Amino acid sequence: MILVVGGQGAGKRTFARSLGYEDGEMADACLNDLPVIFHVERMVFACPENAEALYEALLTKKVVICNEVGSGVIPTDQEERLGREAVGRLCIRLAQQADAVVRMVCGIPSVIKGSLPETAEEECL
Amino acid sequence: MLILLTGGSGCGKSSYAEALCSKLPAPRYYIAAMRPLGEEGLRKIAAHREMRRGKGFETIERYTDLSSLKLPGRGTALLECICNLTANEMFDEEGAFEDPVRRVLDGVEALSAQCSHLIVVTNDVGSDGFAYEEGTAAYIRALGKINGQLARRADHVYEMVCGIPLVRKGALLV
Repeated sequence: MILVVGGQGAGKRTFARSLGYEDGEMADACLNDLPVIFHVERMVFACPENAEALYEALLTKKVVICNEVGSGVIPTDQEERLGREAVGRLCIRLAQQADAVVRMVCGIPSVIKGSLPETAEEECL
Repeated sequence: MLILLTGGSGCGKSSYAEALCSKLPAPRYYIAAMRPLGEEGLRKIAAHREMRRGKGFETIERYTDLSSLKLPGRGTALLECICNLTANEMFDEEGAFEDPVRRVLDGVEALSAQCSHLIVVTNDVGSDGFAYEEGTAAYIRALGKINGQLARRADHVYEMVCGIPLVRKGALLV
């Protein structure tokens, strides 16, 4: 599994396309048979207590895309605050299991753990 | 040696900092700047205490005026975190002091002089797109200045992402 993180609009899905996945293969915040899932943070915010079940299911994916939501002023709203933490903790656990972790900044991927499959690296270049 | 750790909420700063400390010279001090307030705060403190258990930390609670803190011995200190310390200096009844930026920076300097290794944890509060009322806006600016100065002063600066330290200055120690 490759974990792709970054801010909103940082180019995470574009990066997944460069790995060879089409839009039709990407699930928008729902668990199904598609190889790629994005907006994992929304699933955590919707139901933080399901993070454990979510974790197991996400490990079976090829690519997991999650917005980084932990930065900025710590929210006064408790739900939002705990949601942000839960997203962060889930990402830490996913990163531990991932073959590669990619952090997107301005559309530029940085591989911060592991390495990408060779074909993917060629396509990125 | 001064090491600065930054990153958003839930990115693994505390766990990494504690693991790092346990490989650095004893005695080890944990300087807690977070006031034990509310159920969530108490839960967080309990979780952090549990994480530190058996790692040989002596916990020292210090919410303001870090400059006058005297460590009992010379070793490794972990200061967590600059965001709480700054907020206390700015908004606490004990705080509300003039020039919180100077007070926090002087405090870190005084602490650093008393240990072989000081690890300082901060947070990236400036990275959201919201407009805040003046008090919060002043806090964001103060923390930004503090973080910038701490990074200049630090030997090593790491940004934590998904539990992975990204080297922004210096090098990884372990």
